[in-house]
Amino acid sequence: MLQGALIALGFFMMLMLLLIWRGPTIWDRLLGMNMISSKLILCILLFAILTDLPYLIDIAIVYALIGFIGTVFIALFIRQRGRI
Amino acid sequence: MEARYLIANVLIGIGLVCILFGILCFFRFSNFYARVLVASIVDTMGFLTTLIGVALRADSIFPLLKILLLGAAILFINPITTHKIARSAYLSGYRVRQEDDTCDR
Repeated sequence: MLQGALIALGFFMMLMLLLIWRGPTIWDRLLGMNMISSKLILCILLFAILTDLPYLIDIAIVYALIGFIGTVFIALFIRQRGRI
Repeated sequence: MEARYLIANVLIGIGLVCILFGILCFFRFSNFYARVLVASIVDTMGFLTTLIGVALRADSIFPLLKILLLGAAILFINPITTHKIARSAYLSGYRVRQEDDTCDR
């Protein structure tokens, strides 16, 4: 069951890559990157439960926080047209 | 198989179906702000449902607490991120084409 969920999440990430490649504006691409980040966090969680390695959940938490900071600052960078 | 694992599998399945609906709406809508709305609501709901399913499969108390901490963080992080993206698009002057006449500024 968990293996199937991991495969489905990989398929979803490929669909989001297609959306990033197709997206007309830069904000569509940023949104797709944010959703790929959330699916990657789910992948890390499912892998941690599947292989019984609980310390991978810490990596998922750190990845969530770093992805949040990165996306927020890229949005700010675009809004101010290169001036932070 | 315990009943706990069965419920967890059902919840993970429901969450993955929600995420799939969100992605399909991404391809269906042509409006950027509708896509932001879908990303903010459907993706967070699918994430939290899958997270509850994963938390039910945790064996001891510390992985459970860490998963719940991640859920509490995601509950704030995901809407704030989509809000920042939509705000960046709006303040940069991106408008939907058919609403150009009614939108001020």
